[in-house]
Amino acid sequence: MIYAAGVDVGSTQTKAIIINEKREIVARALTDTGANVTRAANKGFAEALLAAGLKREDVAYVVGTGYGRYKVTFGDAQITEISCHARGASFLFPNTRTVIDMGGQDAKGIHIGPDGDVKDFVMNDKCAAGTGRFLANAAEALSLSLDDIGEIAMRAKNPVRLTTVCTVFVESDIMSYLAQGKKVEDILGGVHSAIAARTISLVRRVGIEPEVTFTGGVSRNIGMVRGLEEKLGMKVNVSPDSHFVGALGAAIFALERALKASSEKHEATPAVAGAGPTA
Amino acid sequence: MAQAAEAVKTTYQGQMHLLQKDIMGRYYERLTRCAEQGDGKAVYMMISGNPVELALAFDLIPVYPEINALQLAVKKVCLPFIQKAEEMGYSMDNCAYVKADVGMFHSGRKTPFATIPLPSLILCNYVGCNVYLQWFEHLAEYSQGNLYNLDIPFLHGEFDEPSAADITYVVRQLEEVIEAMERLTGKKLDWAKFKRIVAISGETGELWAKIKALTQKTPSPFDAYFDSVTMMAPLYCLRGTEEGLRFFETALKEMEEKVELGMGPLPEERFRFVIEGPPPWPYLRQFRDLFSKWGAVAVASTYSTVGGLWEFGFKHDPNHPLESIAAHMLKWNLTNRSFLQRYEQIHRYVKEWHADALVIHSVKSCRLFSAGQGDMREHFTKDLGIPTLLVESDIEDPRYFSEAQMKNRIDAFFESLEHQKMLRESAPKGDAR
Amino acid sequence: MAIDNLIAEYKEILEESPLEPAAKWKANHPGSKVVGCYPVYTPVELIHAVGMLPIGIIGGGNRIEIAHADSRFQSFICSIVKSTLELGLTDKLNFVDGMVFHSICDPARNLASVFKRNFPQMMIEYIHFPQNMKSRSTPDYLTAEYNRLKKSYETLSGKTATDEDLRRSILLYNEQRKLLRELYHIRKETPQNLSTAESYVLMRIGTLIPVEEHIAILKEALVELRKRDEKPKDRIKVVLEGSFCEQPFLELIEGLEAAGCYILDDDFMIGWRWFVEDIPTEGDPVRNLARAYIDQSVYSGVKHDSRQPKSKHLIDRVRETGASAVIFLAAKFCEPALFDYALYRQALEKEAIPHLALEFEEKMWIFDKSRSEVETFVESMLFD
Repeated sequence: MIYAAGVDVGSTQTKAIIINEKREIVARALTDTGANVTRAANKGFAEALLAAGLKREDVAYVVGTGYGRYKVTFGDAQITEISCHARGASFLFPNTRTVIDMGGQDAKGIHIGPDGDVKDFVMNDKCAAGTGRFLANAAEALSLSLDDIGEIAMRAKNPVRLTTVCTVFVESDIMSYLAQGKKVEDILGGVHSAIAARTISLVRRVGIEPEVTFTGGVSRNIGMVRGLEEKLGMKVNVSPDSHFVGALGAAIFALERALKASSEKHEATPAVAGAGPTA
Repeated sequence: MAQAAEAVKTTYQGQMHLLQKDIMGRYYERLTRCAEQGDGKAVYMMISGNPVELALAFDLIPVYPEINALQLAVKKVCLPFIQKAEEMGYSMDNCAYVKADVGMFHSGRKTPFATIPLPSLILCNYVGCNVYLQWFEHLAEYSQGNLYNLDIPFLHGEFDEPSAADITYVVRQLEEVIEAMERLTGKKLDWAKFKRIVAISGETGELWAKIKALTQKTPSPFDAYFDSVTMMAPLYCLRGTEEGLRFFETALKEMEEKVELGMGPLPEERFRFVIEGPPPWPYLRQFRDLFSKWGAVAVASTYSTVGGLWEFGFKHDPNHPLESIAAHMLKWNLTNRSFLQRYEQIHRYVKEWHADALVIHSVKSCRLFSAGQGDMREHFTKDLGIPTLLVESDIEDPRYFSEAQMKNRIDAFFESLEHQKMLRESAPKGDAR
Repeated sequence: MAIDNLIAEYKEILEESPLEPAAKWKANHPGSKVVGCYPVYTPVELIHAVGMLPIGIIGGGNRIEIAHADSRFQSFICSIVKSTLELGLTDKLNFVDGMVFHSICDPARNLASVFKRNFPQMMIEYIHFPQNMKSRSTPDYLTAEYNRLKKSYETLSGKTATDEDLRRSILLYNEQRKLLRELYHIRKETPQNLSTAESYVLMRIGTLIPVEEHIAILKEALVELRKRDEKPKDRIKVVLEGSFCEQPFLELIEGLEAAGCYILDDDFMIGWRWFVEDIPTEGDPVRNLARAYIDQSVYSGVKHDSRQPKSKHLIDRVRETGASAVIFLAAKFCEPALFDYALYRQALEKEAIPHLALEFEEKMWIFDKSRSEVETFVESMLFD
């Protein structure tokens, strides 16, 4: 059995996935990245190996991705998280044609083909609007936890209009609205609505084609899912594995290269008559 | 599949790079002599289509604040000057070229490469860029210098061609510029000398066009962006001079030799791209390395045409010196042309220079270049089906460059191009089994 | 008060449905055409003389959500460029037959191209206003440019404009500008009798309706305004500068006044008050329009007249109005205004004229921060 792994070193968390040649996920690991990126990558991979009951030698190929991908020193290749997210989303939802990824630090829109190849992509990595950071600031301004704001936002009856989507000003805007006596759920409704609009505007640059799959840490925010669905007028795929989409895509790339190397090896070896290369 | 190395440092240095260092060194020495010893009179101009031929005919020293600003960035000393300008009241959102120059002006005009002289004449050739007008308006106030706004009507109207009225207006203004220079120098214009200089400009432009045509070859003998900027300095600072002409003769010969040997700036040319937008001067080397890693070479650039567009047939004409200088300023440079004309220019490059993709480097300081590049991207990807990458930073302000983000976008783009290339190459083959 | 109702009515149009009056006009005049003028200045007489209606397309204000235009223009570009494009992309400008742009700044110039590509059914025109006021050939150039424009508009409207038509249009717009000057005169002399917000509404409504109607409105309003006799409040007198293109929303203007200012003069909508005196009508009307641009027009951040330092005009205006301070109110990312500020600031400091610099965006809803800054500024001056 051939195994392959993907390690996604993000700015806050490191994710590792091991799959087998049947494309089944045999292990997941999630750790904090912390200050030492190399250590985080090693640790994440080690935890995944442990969970799978495998040794390092058992894994034929490792792909590193995420902003810390060059620190995955044990990796056989580095591939950007854009390509990996595209692959991973396509694996989870094969009809995906548009990926909307909202992480802590950046937001991406990816237009993909039927086999998960990247046709076009757009990134917002300069500005915190449309990222988890904006929502975190809003939550802090209201003394709420990031995990709760989505549900609260869904209760909004009269969402407020946000004047700006600049993270630097969201706090003061929220304060002004509170001073005006607006309800917390309406303020949060407005915040989610504004971010959904901003994100869709970004993704529109690569075109929005169904099915749309939502990935990244913010995809666990139910208010955000609902906001996107309302504004898009279509259903949005979300997976409980949305965290792992990048690592999953990396693992799939790894598997493909492992299989290719394996079949090339078999071709190079003189074949016995009647036997073809094994898968 | 070939793996891209993590980092490839581009070490390509040809004969023309070394020659350029030499002649630019001498150019800056002349500026310093003017500033510190009062040797000669300086005229400030912008690089986008200008009458430097007139300045040379009067033995005036051409000084280009734009080039001074970018040199400050290349030498990594611009930030304190930018901050000084911001302290004076310039905004975070103002063009950083101007801020660096104004900051430098108010710091004794001393730079690591020269002392910049005060202007005897501030000739604002308003060729498209509105910031030029503000920049020179400010310098005129600070230096109490004599300002002449040489107003070049923007190419517009139904056919985006200069009208008869446009040409007359420019020629009449050039005559007034001659009057101003005659007053300044106390000499009359020597028309024979002027025409010889215009002829040299014509020859230089023609050589430049020939050099640019060479990048249509595979592999391209040089990078039409990163190596072009080396050639642009003599093109602007020394156009109309014998020294400048000899530089381009040398550069052409060198590049023709490279074509014969099938050599390019990288070990292997894997991707050819057209690039739009000025470079991130403080990070020129790092930016280049991000492309070199993928074997990607620029075969054409719009930035290399800001001072003049010679590759499509224009040549300065010594028999009609004022009219052809007017034509150069009105039509034959990038900045006085409309945004849509730039789309056409880029499309032509992609086709005739056989490029795989378009890279748009969007810069915060320069709205002339950048405002609306999202529409450009949309046109090229959706209407023309040309893979297009948009990256963002700045021309001058080092605070706006994020190598990690830049690298991510460039890597993702070339990963996808590589994948598509692989699909195309393996398409007709059947299964190996 | 009748005038209060009038102003309330126009305010609502400005805020809720600014393009409706022109759309209605077009529906009521079958076969006629509408031309949208992007800020700052357009020689509207040329459009009017061929029977078309020139209106100001001054962005989308704070009612429009920018969902498409921001994929075309970057985040560091001012809002008005994007909101104007958004109006086009969301079909709000379908009744507009032509748009005219000019070189106020680099983004505006590129916007003209983006419009041209995206709205091929519209006639997109562009005016290159001269920036060399010292040249002997500038009047000839601008006259030729205006004649080119005139021909273009004759083609669009299907009508030719004789010199008499042009003279009639100039006379009408002269009258409108004279009435607007009177509004500003009342504000300068007796600011307690006419608030900036009120005069703004009365001025801006004129960019949305035929000039003949606007003249009637202004005449009616002035009858009442001349009778007003309010007691002056304890406020500082300021001159406002920097809002010549993207416009602040009305509540911000009201807020500035309520924070303790009498705004004696400003450059709001300056393009519609471009001339300091009447344009002559005898002789060649096109040449008169051109000459007036060069020699009879106001100073502005988008006009580079090197015959005098720009900041001198601001200082003169402060002295002439008797103001004691300057509020510099620039649209976010407005490059020309921000450049001017650097020079103005130095000049104001040299002349010891207190000033406050603020930024705004047309789409703002909340401006508590700006208001606090102005209140603090006012207090520091009143309690000096």
